[in-house]
Amino acid sequence: MKNKLRELRAVKEWSQSDLADKLGVSRQTVNAIETEKYDPSLPLAFKAARLFKLPIEEIFSDKD
Amino acid sequence: MNNKPNIPEELAPGKYYSIRTELKVNGWCWVAVLTSFVNEAILLPHHMDWPVALRAVIALIPWAASLLWVRSVAGWIRGMDELHRRITLAACLFAAIATLFVVVGFHLLVVAGVFSPKFQATTGFVIIWLVVCFYILGQSVFNRRFK
Repeated sequence: MKNKLRELRAVKEWSQSDLADKLGVSRQTVNAIETEKYDPSLPLAFKAARLFKLPIEEIFSDKD
Repeated sequence: MNNKPNIPEELAPGKYYSIRTELKVNGWCWVAVLTSFVNEAILLPHHMDWPVALRAVIALIPWAASLLWVRSVAGWIRGMDELHRRITLAACLFAAIATLFVVVGFHLLVVAGVFSPKFQATTGFVIIWLVVCFYILGQSVFNRRFK
């Protein structure tokens, strides 16, 4: 699943560790999501959407 | 309060290794391994004249310690984040199935007379080490998928 997590994180000047701390997950999970090797669960996707104050569809997309 | 999720690296050799986490998660495993070795290799074979109930209790101490180990591992896995929980559960399943296959295969070879039955005297001790080794292998394999 494609996502814009890396771009959104860069705008805020957060490291992967910073984002991981804010989402309550490990840095490895953030890296796996950004490299599209892992799709987050729904609760985690909602958490990310709330953190960036964006709709989920603007962060995650299953379209190529 | 720091609510960082547990990470599998705390139990693997490396910069994140934590003795405190090792004792908290695997303390009962060490008890099971040590008591299993003492029971099977030293104590029970030389005291078969002891009362049945006493021998049964002594024999089951590692088994009870193993149950407590599984409980502490389950608690540790519950504290992980979703990706690590998925990887660790997959590694645990792989370790359990692989160990089962090795133990069954070994048993079949003992029945066929390829190995001597006396090797089964330390089965409990060996099983725990097999589970640990296959778990480490499983962690390594499943971790690669997400790196």
